[in-house]
Amino acid sequence: MTVAAPAMAASATRETGSGRLQLESLAKRFNGRTGLVTAVDQVNLDVQPGEFITLLGPSGCGKTTTLRMVAGFEDASGGRIMLDGKDIDNLPPQRRPMAMVFQSYALFPHLSVAENIAYGLKLQRKRKDEIAAAMRMAVTSMNLVGLEDRSPHELSGGQQQRVALARALVVQPKVLLFDEPLSNLDAKLRNAMRAEIRRIQKMFGITSMYVTHDQDEAMSMSDRVVVMNKGKVEQVATPGEIYARPASVFVADFIGRANFLEAVPERVSGGMATVTVLDRQITVPAHPKATTGTQGALMVRPENARLVPVTNGGTGIGVVLRSTFHGPNIDYEVETTGGTVTVTEPGADPREALGEGVNVNVTFDPLRAYLLTRD
Amino acid sequence: MTALQPDRDLATLPTVATGRRRRKADLGIRVLIVASSVLVAIGAAVPLIAVMATAFAPNALPRYAEFFTSQVDLTILRNTLVLGALVGLCGTALGFLFAFVQARLDVPGKKILHVIAMMPIVSPPFAVATATVVLYGRRGVISNGIFGIEYHIYGLDGLVFVLSMSLFPVAYLGLLGMLRGLDPALEEAAMNMGAGRWKILRTLILPLIAPGLVAPFLLLFVEAIADLANPLVLGGDYTVLASRAYLAVTGEYDLTSASVYCVILLVPSLAMYFGQRWWLNRKVRTTITGKPSGSVHLMTGWGRWPIYGLALFIAAIIVSLYGTVIVGSVTKVFGVDNSLTLDYLKEVVAGVGVEAVLDTLTFAAIATPIAGVVGLVIAWLVVRHLRRTAWLLDLGGTLGVAVPGTVLGIGFVLAYRPDRYIGDFEVFPSLVGGSALAAGAVSIVLAYVVRSIPAGQRTAVGALSQLHPYIEQASTDLGASPVQTFRFVTLPLIRPALLTGLSYSFARSMTSVSTIVLLVTPETKIITSQVLSAASTGRYGVAFAYCTVLTAIVLAGFGLIRLVVGAGASLHRTAKTERQKEQ
Repeated sequence: MTVAAPAMAASATRETGSGRLQLESLAKRFNGRTGLVTAVDQVNLDVQPGEFITLLGPSGCGKTTTLRMVAGFEDASGGRIMLDGKDIDNLPPQRRPMAMVFQSYALFPHLSVAENIAYGLKLQRKRKDEIAAAMRMAVTSMNLVGLEDRSPHELSGGQQQRVALARALVVQPKVLLFDEPLSNLDAKLRNAMRAEIRRIQKMFGITSMYVTHDQDEAMSMSDRVVVMNKGKVEQVATPGEIYARPASVFVADFIGRANFLEAVPERVSGGMATVTVLDRQITVPAHPKATTGTQGALMVRPENARLVPVTNGGTGIGVVLRSTFHGPNIDYEVETTGGTVTVTEPGADPREALGEGVNVNVTFDPLRAYLLTRD
Repeated sequence: MTALQPDRDLATLPTVATGRRRRKADLGIRVLIVASSVLVAIGAAVPLIAVMATAFAPNALPRYAEFFTSQVDLTILRNTLVLGALVGLCGTALGFLFAFVQARLDVPGKKILHVIAMMPIVSPPFAVATATVVLYGRRGVISNGIFGIEYHIYGLDGLVFVLSMSLFPVAYLGLLGMLRGLDPALEEAAMNMGAGRWKILRTLILPLIAPGLVAPFLLLFVEAIADLANPLVLGGDYTVLASRAYLAVTGEYDLTSASVYCVILLVPSLAMYFGQRWWLNRKVRTTITGKPSGSVHLMTGWGRWPIYGLALFIAAIIVSLYGTVIVGSVTKVFGVDNSLTLDYLKEVVAGVGVEAVLDTLTFAAIATPIAGVVGLVIAWLVVRHLRRTAWLLDLGGTLGVAVPGTVLGIGFVLAYRPDRYIGDFEVFPSLVGGSALAAGAVSIVLAYVVRSIPAGQRTAVGALSQLHPYIEQASTDLGASPVQTFRFVTLPLIRPALLTGLSYSFARSMTSVSTIVLLVTPETKIITSQVLSAASTGRYGVAFAYCTVLTAIVLAGFGLIRLVVGAGASLHRTAKTERQKEQ
């Protein structure tokens, strides 16, 4: 769980030389309507200086609460938060060297763009010329030139977002916190802002903690992703690792799409297991917890599977239930002996799609499948 | 995109103590909490406790048996409740009439109607009482002079009339907000399904508004039974608990039975007041949705004219009453000898009255900023910074309006008239009475503050609830302490609420009677108690002159407050750009 982030850490420390954020057994319990609710349960995390880490999970998984405890807006019910080795639990939000970018941006509506950006610097009692210099820098790097005197409500969503980011950046925080900052933007702008945030974060090398429920966002921006479910951390790993080697059925299901084929390992050794699925015996990579004879689930990503039509009247492993055209690819749902399987065929001609009721076989590269345990 | 997610909802729930040390609250916050608690305790809690202590002392207990067996006392209780109920009904009806005309009828002159409906807020209630006697009494200029009736106005009918006319703006403002908050899309939906304007009124608007009529009814009930000035001027034989308690103190010097009357008055007052708050806080029917869409369709049929006519008639009565106040202050005996004279006004602004005018103005000027700021601070603490104890401070701040002024005044007398000694050392000087600190000025200012806090507190709570906490969190996150955040972010954003709060505080201070009449000393004179004595001795011209001057001062005060605080410029900026965007 506390694996150091690769590569990124080394390149980032040159800027700030600090910003290591550690969470130890962090917990949060509320008195809910139905009794005691555990919103965050024993979260451990070691974020390296300059690392971009994303908390990802469905609504109510505790990711926002975790972020707000780090910011100091919520008191932890247990555990510790440390910044550069020092306990910060007892510091109020204003004394923590962090800055947050809010989902609603939370720009001060009575202040202009420039006044918003300068707000934190004025509180730090910086000299006028220092403020002016920092402002110029922020305004230029965030493409806000010419908007300094506008009011927040005179800006577009993307511009407001950039002001919020600039306002957070100028105070030179050790940690940047993002609370679903892109969820109010339209899809195109969202993509542009992802790249923008990542570029700025790399440029300044500031440790960042980002909360989202959008897996695409998490995968495309993060050094590491923390998948959370029901207050617990399910997995902490690089996006690629999480996609190819999910730690649980929940992670596999939440990240991307996956078919789960029931499978009982006949033999397990050296991280590989032999299973029989769809009437074929194959050897696949397996989760360390997989053991011989225990019910497991074989994860097959739809894009890693292929359909082979059965010609000359024979029967295959399944029958096409439905095909859906998505532009770049066609999705097929196939009724098989092992349940309904989804297969994505990239680049197929929609006019030659297989029709309903066609007999097919489903094939996939066993090395790109992954055997998980049913808990 | 779901703006509110379950884990967000959780984030707003109170934390449970889990044996871990909680971070200590910010020093500035603690100072504010202590300061506002102490003020509320001294100004409201201690006097109330003093009343309770006297009313439940052993020698007071037999009085309850006497009260509930005495035919006279039971009649007083019944009178009080009947008055409350009738004023509640009439005032709410008047408020609804004006709100409906304002929000839903396509008629001319709505701005003027609005101003007329707001007039009673800035004038002392007995201005209306006195004018009513002059216009509609036995020898009334209108009742007798025009219609030749010798109407006996003293009693229940007169009281209901005067109190409804004086208090209905509260109901009007509440109902106007509610009618405007109705999502026009609902009406458009009904129209779309084929309902006509009147059908919509009957089947949609009235059922939706109905629960909203309860709150103003209860509020008016509380204000009506708490009122002291009108029963004294206009009550005649119709005695109510407030005036009975007042007479027990001033006429019989019997503080024990005064306290007993107070407690009996407190029961319906507090029950109705907190019933009203509970009713408003229920989340049963959410008619006021986030952003109303569609456009309001005003009523245009012939049916609007009778409603409009009724509102005009009421408005004419209001104008006649206030017109009488002004005209009465510059005529010898209005209606009898209509020759112009400036004697009364001279008496007030350049003669014996000048002392009262200056004292009142000074006290109100001291009390207003304190009350306005404290109300705002209490609201901010309650909404943002306190969790389990929030209700307590909220309650404390509200006592100034929930507790009838007479009760509070008697509480002041009981709690603060004697000097408090521990051994030979004077720990708390007398605040009330002839030998009081600063001739009673301290207690008068304190009473003004406590009576005025709730107005500012209520508007500020409303404004703060509209302001997303993230805005303030963004400020703390950038390094501002909570108090800095309040100064640089919260305060500028809720400035309109501060403006309203200060204005209300000033108006309430200047026009406050029921608490003050028990606190004035020979050295400190207050306009309202001067009016009371002038009106009850039949010197109407002087009473009118005082009222005119008082109203002028209140209006000037509004202007000054607006000038100092600024007229909510941030709101105007928003409005302007919304329009610019449309262009």
